[in-house]
Amino acid sequence: MTKGVQNVSQVQIKVDNLNLWYGEKQALKNISMQIPKNSVTALIGPSGCGKSTFLRCLNRMNDLVKNCRIEGKISIEEKDIYGPDVDVVDLRKKVGMVFQKPNPFPMSIFDNVAYGPRIHGADRKDLDSIVEQALRSAAIWEETSDRLKSPALSLSGGQQQRLCIARTLAVKPRTILFDEPTSALDPISTARIEDLIMDLKKDYTIVIVTHNMQQAARISDYTGFFLMGKLIEFGQTRQIFQNPQEQSTEDYITGRFG
Amino acid sequence: MFSKNSKEKGIESVLFFISTLTVLILFLICIFLFRDSLLLFKETSLLDFLTGKFWYPTSVNKQFGLLPLLLGSLLVTAGSILFSVPLGIASAIYISELAHPKVADFLKPFIEILAGIPSVVFGFFGLVVLVPFMQKTLNLPTGQTALTGSIMLGIMALPTIITISEDAISSVPSTLRQGSLALGATQWQTIYKVIIPASLSGISAAVMLGIGRAIGETMTLMMVTGNAAIIPSFPGGFFGPVRTMTATIALEMGEVPQGSAHFHALFAVGSVLFIITFIINLIADSIKKKYRFKVG
Repeated sequence: MTKGVQNVSQVQIKVDNLNLWYGEKQALKNISMQIPKNSVTALIGPSGCGKSTFLRCLNRMNDLVKNCRIEGKISIEEKDIYGPDVDVVDLRKKVGMVFQKPNPFPMSIFDNVAYGPRIHGADRKDLDSIVEQALRSAAIWEETSDRLKSPALSLSGGQQQRLCIARTLAVKPRTILFDEPTSALDPISTARIEDLIMDLKKDYTIVIVTHNMQQAARISDYTGFFLMGKLIEFGQTRQIFQNPQEQSTEDYITGRFG
Repeated sequence: MFSKNSKEKGIESVLFFISTLTVLILFLICIFLFRDSLLLFKETSLLDFLTGKFWYPTSVNKQFGLLPLLLGSLLVTAGSILFSVPLGIASAIYISELAHPKVADFLKPFIEILAGIPSVVFGFFGLVVLVPFMQKTLNLPTGQTALTGSIMLGIMALPTIITISEDAISSVPSTLRQGSLALGATQWQTIYKVIIPASLSGISAAVMLGIGRAIGETMTLMMVTGNAAIIPSFPGGFFGPVRTMTATIALEMGEVPQGSAHFHALFAVGSVLFIITFIINLIADSIKKKYRFKVG
């Protein structure tokens, strides 16, 4: 059964009966959901519930994990991303990902952002404007415009994370996956990233995994609650937080476990 | 309690003494090496030794010119590096990035065994297999050439280069790998644009240590390079015999009258060798310290 969200104008990601095993262990059980376009969807749940695993199915990062087996169907923009004719490189161009810990490459700020466009064959003369635009969109242009040649690792943790967002934006994806993007950051940096995410949904479909329920409540339009590999409940954030349909959702949100 | 404490102190001072012994031995070696070398300069000037073009230690008109030996060593080493660095780095990339873990676990012990083969065995193999092969395929008067030595040395330096490069490559955090792949990079783009630049200092340290290994090698070279003390030309010198500094010491030390100028000249050659390897190790060490990866 498909949970939650009715009357959605446009569906960006459609998941049908997704099952995933790591070796013998089943990590995701019968997940079905429809993630609306140009919205922020938060995935919450206790550690080990499968929310990050699920996120990594959406850009096929689980392909890197040995003994990982997937059944079911995921369509992004109505295209089956596990279909036989799918180019993973192309998929990851359209579905960007920002990781838990900031992971800038050990090169200059400019080269970090230009990395994606370069490997995808961007024209050299366009690079300057692509990089500037990506840094502006990620709200880090003011801090970096005068030192684009300095190493990315000289930035603070919060700046590094925004640089990683800029790096993802430079590839011009349509969907961006965030895997606990603020768990390694201080409150001020976290607030800036949250503002940024809410701003980005104008142009992108955003799926964010978070440990922080206040964060999910603050920034998301839709929320999915995962527990032990199952999607327990999925719907509009306000409804999930104010009027959850399932007992376990309510228990988790009110802090009775997790 | 008091007696136990003094026992701890006792063990500590014994261990301290043993570990300083190593340093002491190194110092003594240096002192003897340099003292005996300096005695040469009573007979020949330092400049004549360093720039002399002829090594005629036993003729009536004795000449102790380092150049043929130094250039012989450098030529053979340079050749071995040209050969072993691409091969070593390629193997390291394969083992740490591309090979199935089971294949990597299968390959690694063999590389370590390669490092454990005595150099005389390498020399024997070179003499019996590679020397005739070089002579025939390149149509040379003799197969005992600098190139033969370079190839053998290259094989011998491979384990050092592979092991240390592989270590450096594996120490690149996997978050960088994932970051690159998530941007739509292929595995190969990830390797040569992110992984290799990130581990470059470790790889350079591996290369330096490989050079150190090559320049100090004696037995194998003595057996396959022909030992003619003539200044090699470049690059034609690869196809003729050369004599390295190490081979010179090994060949002549047994025959030389103790305390003669020739005797001191060999010590001076040894000092030069020592200084070169010392500098190389120093460089490798400082590079290695830098590459400890800082994350987050």
